[in-house]
Amino acid sequence: MVVALHIAFYLGSLLYVCAGALSMTYLWRGDARVLRYGIWMVWGGTAALLAMFAIRGILYGRIPLTSLSDSLSLFLIMSGTLMVFITRRDNVSTLLSFYLAPLAAVGLVNAVIAHRYLTEAPMLLQRAPLVVHVGLAFLAYSLFFAAGMTSAAYLCHMSHLKHHRTTWLTRRMPSLQELDTTLSRLLLYAYPLFVLTLAQGLVWAWIDPSPLGPQWWLAPKVLLSFVMVLFYACAVHLRFAGMLRGPKLSYLVLFGFAVLLILYIGLSLLGLRGYHFWSEQA
Amino acid sequence: MSLVAVGLSHHTSPVETRERLGFPAHTLPGALLQLSKRLDKAGTVILSTCNRVEIYAHYAGEAESARNEIRAFLSEWHKLPVEEFKDALYEHEGRDAVGHLFRVASGLDSLVIGETQILGQVHDAYIAAQTEQTADKVIHNLFQSAFTVAKQIRSQTAVGEGKVSVSSVAVDLAASIFGDLTGKAVMVIGSGEMGELTLKSLVTHGVKSVIVVNRHPERAQALAAQYNGEALPFETLSDHLHRADIIISTTAAPRTILHADHFHHALKSRQQAPLLVIDIAVPRDVDADVGELDNVYLYNIDDLEQVVNENIEVRRREIEQCLAIAERGVDQFMHWMGSLIVAPTITSMAKELEIIRERETQKTLASLPDLTEKQRYEIEYLTKRIVNNILKRPMTEIKHEVGHHDPGTVVHLVKRLFGIEESM
Repeated sequence: MVVALHIAFYLGSLLYVCAGALSMTYLWRGDARVLRYGIWMVWGGTAALLAMFAIRGILYGRIPLTSLSDSLSLFLIMSGTLMVFITRRDNVSTLLSFYLAPLAAVGLVNAVIAHRYLTEAPMLLQRAPLVVHVGLAFLAYSLFFAAGMTSAAYLCHMSHLKHHRTTWLTRRMPSLQELDTTLSRLLLYAYPLFVLTLAQGLVWAWIDPSPLGPQWWLAPKVLLSFVMVLFYACAVHLRFAGMLRGPKLSYLVLFGFAVLLILYIGLSLLGLRGYHFWSEQA
Repeated sequence: MSLVAVGLSHHTSPVETRERLGFPAHTLPGALLQLSKRLDKAGTVILSTCNRVEIYAHYAGEAESARNEIRAFLSEWHKLPVEEFKDALYEHEGRDAVGHLFRVASGLDSLVIGETQILGQVHDAYIAAQTEQTADKVIHNLFQSAFTVAKQIRSQTAVGEGKVSVSSVAVDLAASIFGDLTGKAVMVIGSGEMGELTLKSLVTHGVKSVIVVNRHPERAQALAAQYNGEALPFETLSDHLHRADIIISTTAAPRTILHADHFHHALKSRQQAPLLVIDIAVPRDVDADVGELDNVYLYNIDDLEQVVNENIEVRRREIEQCLAIAERGVDQFMHWMGSLIVAPTITSMAKELEIIRERETQKTLASLPDLTEKQRYEIEYLTKRIVNNILKRPMTEIKHEVGHHDPGTVVHLVKRLFGIEESM
């Protein structure tokens, strides 16, 4: 079982790396077959990582959601599937290259760094709502990630058009309007999902504050999350009121995504991720 | 059996010659039937466009006589002495003819490399031949292979990417910004020829709403009427700027007429929706500062020409790869054609061996009268297996060889080896 676990994990991560490499090749060469192979790799990687989750669940008898390898694998599965779905239309298929390239980097980190957590037993999740909370959060993060990458694609395409550079990139990119529409849709789905995730966590913590401590609402992660809710509320409002569009919206979304990354990774690195932070300070 | 391509194109002849040798659509059925009859019901296709006139024929006899017949047909049909167009003709046979068609269908032989219109024209020529039943099995496979190769070249290389005329580059830019142009509005300022050409291209690609602004109201109305558009006086230009998604400026004004201030107001009214400004005028109509504004994409004539040149260069760089794909297609087709030529020989070879097997088996069985039915069957079965195994390798090798060498030589050798009648 352990061998099967390793095979599924490495195969899944590496298939995502290959998918990223193929999508970049497509961007460079424009051969639609290459992108199709990349999509197959995503499906293969997703299947392998799902198998990894199943094996880990069977091996340890717990829901595998808490380690770094679990988090990265879940992120790969959700983002990969979501991105193939978003780019299923021909006119935005090139966008997949912008999505899969950073996912390839995540796959590489997963295989090279996170593998050490693979054979550690996942923490026992004491409350069922946590599973829902984590699932929703990852879906929201995946949508924000896609929005961030769409913004990057928009800025890249815009810069080429502004400076009259017609390269292979401009010829294959979706139109600015399509990128703007995709970005707006992603925000429209990601924002309510993010709010729902926080609301669900809030209700759960309010009803049963014991696992998080009495001052959970002062934890940096919670406070920053609420700042992000306000930030994205402004961005979504300005976009749909017609006041913010194109490059400015893209810069804003990229900034928001960077803050989310800090929220997720930065706080962990700084040791500020726990909910007991203020209780411990006191 | 020979496959020939005889024709003339923009590479070898002036437009006057091509005009005289062209086949208008209504004359094509008659021409196809007459040509096919002349070539003893050979498979024939006539491709006639403004840039080329070509005849493809699959003929039962020698290539030389097919070429002579085609020349004579062209002369008779167009009532022109052969001497008048002989020098403009190119003639290909076998592999060269196949390669030529593949290059033509892929747009590699076109005036504008990589253009796609020719593929439609080749398709029409093939359909016309099919309708008149002058496309035989070989012609059918030849043209289907040409379409496959053309599609491969288009999808696997960048030869068709990027437009190579100023007006089509403008359409490309509009598509890069807006995607689908349906429902977009275009404003034309002035009445330059290039501006009208660009407007025409945009309307062809789905732009519905046309606004024409001109200092001369009658000119504005004349152009607007052509596209069911709206004519506006020049003085109201800045009030209507926000209504356009694409602005084509082509006036003869001695100094710039549109500045950043005009666009600030327009963008606000448009809720920051992007705006493409194509300034084809010399001297320029639009202040260069406008290009610095967010959501405004300004291109002047030099910028457009630079894009055209870059696109031409991209297409040139792809030619080598395109030719390699075409060459692979030729290999596959020639292999198929070779197998078609040797198929009767392979059948005869198998028949010959079957006759020997049958004769020798019967002799042996006659000398062994005590054998049971089952034993007789086993012996029969054994001999069949031996013959099949003996035939397997030669059959594979023959099919392989005809793809790389002259099928006639291979067929002749096989016939000699197995003592097959020459008439077969």
